[in-house]
Order: sequence, then structure tokens, then C-alpha cells
Amino acid sequence: MSKPVLIIGGGPSGLAAAHSLATVGKECVIVEKEDRLGGAPILSGYAKLVPTGEWAKDAIGGMVKRVEEASSVSIVTGATVTGFDGTPGDFTAELSNGDSLEVESVIVCSGFTHFDSVNKPEWGFGTYEDVVTTTQVEQMISSGQGVRCPSDGRKPQRVAILLCVGSRDRQIGREWCSKICCTVSSNIAMEIREELPDCHVYIYYMDIRTFGLYETKYYWKSQEEFKVKYIKARIAEVTSDGEKLIVKGEDTLVKRPITIPFDMVVHAVGMDPNVDNPTISQTLGIDLESNGYIDVANRYGSMGATSRPGVFVAGSATGPETIDDSITQGHAAAMAVLSGAKALKSA
Amino acid sequence: MPIHEKSLIRPENLTTHEELVLDGVDVSGHWSTFIETRVVKDYNEDMQDEIAALPGGEHIHRCWQCGSCTNACTVNALNPDFNPRYWIYLIRMGYESELLRDKDIIWQCVSCNKCTYACPRDVFPEGVMKATAHWLEKKGHTEKSPSTHFDEVFTEQIVSTGKIEESRTMRRFFSRTGQALAQPWMIEMVKRMLRGLPVGMLTRMGLATLIAPKTNDWSKASAAIQEYIDEQHDKQVQALSLAELVETAKQDVAA
Repeated sequence: MSKPVLIIGGGPSGLAAAHSLATVGKECVIVEKEDRLGGAPILSGYAKLVPTGEWAKDAIGGMVKRVEEASSVSIVTGATVTGFDGTPGDFTAELSNGDSLEVESVIVCSGFTHFDSVNKPEWGFGTYEDVVTTTQVEQMISSGQGVRCPSDGRKPQRVAILLCVGSRDRQIGREWCSKICCTVSSNIAMEIREELPDCHVYIYYMDIRTFGLYETKYYWKSQEEFKVKYIKARIAEVTSDGEKLIVKGEDTLVKRPITIPFDMVVHAVGMDPNVDNPTISQTLGIDLESNGYIDVANRYGSMGATSRPGVFVAGSATGPETIDDSITQGHAAAMAVLSGAKALKSA
Repeated sequence: MPIHEKSLIRPENLTTHEELVLDGVDVSGHWSTFIETRVVKDYNEDMQDEIAALPGGEHIHRCWQCGSCTNACTVNALNPDFNPRYWIYLIRMGYESELLRDKDIIWQCVSCNKCTYACPRDVFPEGVMKATAHWLEKKGHTEKSPSTHFDEVFTEQIVSTGKIEESRTMRRFFSRTGQALAQPWMIEMVKRMLRGLPVGMLTRMGLATLIAPKTNDWSKASAAIQEYIDEQHDKQVQALSLAELVETAKQDVAA
């Protein structure tokens, strides 16, 4: 009887990997540190997903249900891997709940951590109630409450979305582009304009990176159909005059300083490496790349390999990633596990 | 402190007071020149919608500031201050005071439409320039341009008769723009025409001057066109809040 595959993390990539393995009848165990599956889209209450426009609770919820119903998948929630030893085909994983698992291989799907905006105090998060993050706006939309200023519940007349909060910023040691925030912000801007047609939305950017097909569907559409305004400016600071938030910066296209009043300021927060990555790296004996994400080895020879044979990785554990690509990588890692298992058997 | 580098500061941002005492300190005169802030304090969110309400301006919100229009521009090659990309941005973001600084050159667009073909997003910058020039006129920022006068004279004649009688158009255009009919080039043209003794043409011209030619059964078409023009006019008056503008002006005069 062959041993199961250990999947660490029950977000989009972990759910995809588990589903792939289940379809060929390969047993697996998902170990999830939170109390339920779904990962960031579910736990952080995302609203409509890019690019399908489906609600996260339906789309990712469907993936969770599919995995929960699969007989070959066992799920352990509220637990982490605390010890790990062995060789491909013959690993032992110790869990924080005291259990021990004999597993054939591992897929690390531990995801990312949202950037904590208090680390950019000049942009007012934590100081002013009406400075919020994209995650909070997602929750306002997904909860059905609608986009409102947290301070007094009023409908904002003017919203500023600041891009690259926690991304592309050497000051705070985050040089990467978080890849998804431009598109997510365009999407949120359109949703705000849809819900509150009298509310003007301004996006302050350094570059717009709505890559690939997101260009027309988000960047162009937000301008052409929703009249969202894009201003090339990296904001210097967000303050308040007691009534409104004051956004200060330079409008680089007119070479003029600006101090514009806003009702609400939204930080498009980036994707940090999972805060647990140092622990995960040490426990599993796998390398991190220079930014702190899990390093992908042998990119052209295998799918989702790490520095340790038999341990694979998928999704935003490897760097900022879209939900779609995380899912693809989850499936790919399952494929790598299966081909690895076959090689072991024939050896 | 005197300001040495005044050339770097816009003249309108420099203020010198003849007599001013602040907190007991005399700050009058040249040695106490003040510099007004350059900081933009707000956006005029109506501006883009107002330009978009005028013919040609409909697609201004598509612009993403690539600069293809300015690059392609015939007038920009002659006058670097003529910058459609920049004006489109000012309108989109509502930097009204900035736009007004250039109000006397915006009308200079020659409608070559090179920008129209260069634009990757179908903004139709040429149309936007036209709409902007009209916006400036309608809002009272600029006088009616000669070309607007010409358009009006031309349109009025079409609506009333269904035909264009050139000499009438020219006479009205000259009178409205305060120009003498006896322009040197006009005199020269008439002289040369007369050399060939064009009896038939002169007769027709003379008759047309006396009795304005009219398209048969024109009244119905005329009424329909006029109705459409009025409709568009009313829409623009509303979109540009012109009635309110007039009201404010009246109150200012009364006060």
C-alpha cells in the first residue's frame, strides 16, 4: 500500500493539487493551519474574482466542497507541520496536534501573507479610520454591506486607490511587484463606480501592470466604461484636515504638487512571503529565494520542484501569484508527484 | 528677502503689496514679494463630462497619456506649447486653471487629423481640441473665434434657405468679425474676374444678391434641422451649466 501525499495549505493551489490526486485515486492529506479550507480568497472574504467575476465563496467554495467530498482526501485543520524527516517515498511528518504522518511526498501550498499597511505609516493606515486596504474593500463588497467610510458609514464621494503599497519599495525591503494589485484595484474601482455612480475613483500609480488579457478587461474597461481616473504619482503622505483625508504627492504629468481631499483612501496591499516561510523552510529543509518566498528548483526539468527531492511547491508560496495560476501550479505539482512516484516504483 | 530667480516663477504667482503690515512688520514693496503656492488643491470633476458633452469630445475619457497625438501634431511642430496630450490630461483630471493658461492657443488646431490616426485608443484628439475650443467660448473664457463666426453664418444660411450663396456668406462673415468687405485680395479677385467679362455669372450673382435662392419646399426640412439644433443647444446649456453661469454673472453685475 503506497503512502499518501502531504499537502501543506488548503488554498487554491492546495485544493487543486488535492483534486488532481483525487481524480486518479491517489490518497492525500491536507494540513491547514486555519480552521477551514479555502485560503486567502475565503479567509479574507474576497468578493468577485479576477478574471471570471464569480464570487470567491462560490468559485473557491466549490473547490473546497469537491475536495471535502473526495474519499481519498483527508483533511486536518488547525494544525501545522512541526517536524519532517526521511527520503522521497518515505517521509515522516510531525504535526502540531501531536499526530505523525507517513507520507510519500509533500506539496507545499502555504501561500502568502497580505502586506500589513501599518508598515507604511505615512499613508495613514491605522491612524485614520477611512484609510483601508483592498482586502477591506473586498470584504465590504462580499458582505453585501457596500463600500462605506468606516468612520461614520457614509457613502464616499471620492475614493483614492494607492497602488504598490508594500510592493516595489526598497525602503521596506520589498522589491517585488505583487502582480495582481493593479488588476484587483481596477476591478474594485469599477465595482465602486457601479455601486456608487456619483463616487469618483482615482488610482495613483507608478506603472500599470494589468498584464496579458487583463489589459482590456480591467485597465481599458475601467477607463472607457467606468471613467476611473489614473494619475501617475506616488503619494508622499496621507493626512487629514479633520473632515477629509488629504492626499499629498506630485502629479508627475503636470509637474505640480497636489493636496487633494478624499473621503476614503484604499491601499492596494501587496503579497508578502508567508510570515511562516522561515519556519517552513527550516522544518522541511527547503531553500527560500532572496525575497523570502520558497525557491523553485529545476524550472525547466520538473514542475514545482524545491531544493529537496520529494518536496514540491505550488501557488503564491513561490512568489506573488494569481488565483488562476496558483490553481494551475497545484495541478502541475500533483502531476510532478505522480511522475515522481512512478519513477520511485520502477527504481 | 528679495527673490532673485523670479524668471523661474510664473508671474501670476508673484505678488507684491504696495502697503502691507503683518504682525507689525512692514512687508510692502519689491523686497517683500510673495510667492503664491503652486499646489493643486482640488479636481474639478465636471470638466471631463462637460467636454464630453460637446461634439468631438465624447471619447476623451479613453486617453491614457501615451503622447502619440502630440507627437503627430502639425501645430506642435511649430509651437511646442500646443500639446493636446497635456490638455486632455488637464481636462480629465479637472485642472481648470492650468487649462485656462493655454486658452489662447487651443483654437489653433488645424484639424489635420494626424492625431486621429496615431491615437491607439480612439480618443479622437482633433475632436477633443474642437470641443475644448468651443467649451472655452461657451464658458466665456475666450471670444468667439472667426471660425465659429463662419460656422454660424454658414449654418444660419443653410437652415433658412437650404442653399449657400457665397457672396452673402462672405459679407455676413466680414460684418460679424468686424472686417472690411473691401479686402485687398477681394478687390484683386473682382478686378481679375471682370477682365473676362463674365456676363452670365455677374447676372446670376446680382440676382442672387437681390433675391436669396432657396431650395424648393425647404420649410419642413428647415424646421426639422432647427429643431435638432435647438435640442443640441439645450443639452449643451444643461451639460455645461450655462444657465447657472449666466445667473451668477447677473448677480455679480447687480452686486
